Amino acid sequence: MAEATLSGTGIASMNRSIVRELPLTAQAAPVPEAEPAEEIYLTVIVRVTERPASLDDLYREYVAPIRELNRPFEFLFAIEPWARDLVQPLYELADRGEPIRILESARSVGEAGLLRLANDRGRGGIVLTMPAYQRVEPEAIPKLIAKIEQGEDMAVARRWPRSDRLVNRLQSRAFNFLLRKLIGQVTHDVACGVQAMRRDVLAETPMYGDFYRFLPVLAVREGFRVVEVDAPQHRRDRRTRIYSPGTYLRRLIDILGLFFLVRFTEKPLRFFGLVGMGLSVGGLIVLGFLFVQRQFEQQPIANRPMLLVGVTALTLGAQAIALGLIGEIIVHLSAARGARYRLLDDAPEDS
Amino acid sequence: MMKKPRITIVCPLFNEEDNVVPLAEAVSRSMPAHESWELVLVDDGSTDATYAQARRLVHRDARIRVFRLARNYGQSTATQAGFDHARGDIIVTMDGDLQNDPGDIPALIAKLEQGYDLVAGYRENRRDRLVTRKIPSKVANVLIRWLTGVPIRDNGCSLKAYRRSLARRIGLYAEMHRFIPALAVGITGARTAELPVRHHPRRYGRSKYGLSRVWKVLSDLLVVIMIRWFRDRPLYMFALGALGAFVAALLFVIGAVLAPLMAGSNVDSIVLPSAAIVLIGLALFLLMVGLIAEVALRQVSTWRRPRSAGPASLP
Repeated sequence: MAEATLSGTGIASMNRSIVRELPLTAQAAPVPEAEPAEEIYLTVIVRVTERPASLDDLYREYVAPIRELNRPFEFLFAIEPWARDLVQPLYELADRGEPIRILESARSVGEAGLLRLANDRGRGGIVLTMPAYQRVEPEAIPKLIAKIEQGEDMAVARRWPRSDRLVNRLQSRAFNFLLRKLIGQVTHDVACGVQAMRRDVLAETPMYGDFYRFLPVLAVREGFRVVEVDAPQHRRDRRTRIYSPGTYLRRLIDILGLFFLVRFTEKPLRFFGLVGMGLSVGGLIVLGFLFVQRQFEQQPIANRPMLLVGVTALTLGAQAIALGLIGEIIVHLSAARGARYRLLDDAPEDS
Repeated sequence: MMKKPRITIVCPLFNEEDNVVPLAEAVSRSMPAHESWELVLVDDGSTDATYAQARRLVHRDARIRVFRLARNYGQSTATQAGFDHARGDIIVTMDGDLQNDPGDIPALIAKLEQGYDLVAGYRENRRDRLVTRKIPSKVANVLIRWLTGVPIRDNGCSLKAYRRSLARRIGLYAEMHRFIPALAVGITGARTAELPVRHHPRRYGRSKYGLSRVWKVLSDLLVVIMIRWFRDRPLYMFALGALGAFVAALLFVIGAVLAPLMAGSNVDSIVLPSAAIVLIGLALFLLMVGLIAEVALRQVSTWRRPRSAGPASLP
């Protein structure tokens, strides 16, 4: 993956459509840089991170079915600084009047950051987001958007039927199986990353770091209605993919993190307390056993490593509980701050 | 446009389609005619027709307001949503399943006006299963009373009356609704009182609790104890733990010194000093965690707290 910073290399001048802003827009409401001539209906956000395909090909391919919707739309390509060279062909397309905007983050912010950056600046009521390579056949896109028009909050593409190698499918199966078992994930293809949603779904779902992957899971937790739509796998998506061991490890850590987030964010002690109680009780049993031996069977215990095992287990248990309590303090203190729920606003307030 | 009512009755509802209408009627019947009140119904992500039923009530009676949560968040959060939208100076909470009797509300309010911040109802003749409901509840209540020092007989009874300023400061989340009195005392030093209330068997629907919540209640209880006793000085709590570990370490050191003396000089006693070292490590760890807790407390107390913006009548 390209890591090097490209500042100072021969970039053909700073094109005026570059938006160089940090994505930390929590306080400053982003202002569209130009008054749109017409109401935008659909914003397509393409996150350019790893292994991007040829972006102009991607655009040409996906713009066709979207154009057939006959609604005003825009394409936002959110890129990190290293990807500047890749978007040059897009500037040419934009100059020819294609509805393309390119948003460049000032530093590397990851996919979640790019998604936020783009969503803050998107003008459409419906957002379609996809990775910078072909996952599903373009004709599946209108199906996703139709779901949103029918009133769903989010529609997630599932690559189905799949036509790639068994290796890929097995990996994907294992990943999604683990997710479903641990989290009760409803969708079958989390990694696909092609999703249509109402704009506020993305805006209101807390998401950071690598958790963008699990956007459907997080959206369900916010009370949004999420549906899955079968979409034929793209022919370019069939390449066999074997990742580095580090990648697999990161995915596993992601799932564990999400599991904790979903199950215990509000109640960390339920988790840490369980671990801590287990260890402490185990340690106490060992120590009690030694005590009985010492007291009633007159065996010396000072030289028994078992004693150290018991004390260490007890110690680890106490540490786990202490960490759980810290978590609870933080949760408790921040709960006094404000609402942690989302109301559906179809009830007109009577006051 | 209605003028601000004096009393807000908050009812979280989860799949109570058959109970909504009778509930509203019962409330309406039992409130004195001269009293200004509103009924806030919070639909906690019901999957049945609860919300539709509640909406229909709104058209019949302007004193009824309905809010709908995006998903099922649980009773605590639903109650908190009710608190957040309540307009009355006195807030009454009750279950949406008709097991509480709205007829008890005037008595609760009268008691509150004698100078309390929170009046909790307790169910005198509980009409529930003995083994799965009443006995566990009894044990839990004794434990809570004993460990938090807040003398409340029946923490599980939802029928309670609060001053608004108190209700807004509790900050309910997760399953903390079970511990409201202890939290109220711990957070605000509220003055609490109790009144016996009636309890009816369920008419419609089924109970949403099971016996499987022992661990959850115990874990939450530990949190409540922490909030009750150490909310403003968490370092003390961790220092107490550290002290315990340190004393244990000291005992092991003494043991290490005495063991060779007692058993002759041939006892290889590397284990006792090691255990002492581990325990001293624990003591240091707990102290550091306590410091982190102080950092968290300091951070949060500098945030603005929109919820406590109202007049704080509490000490």
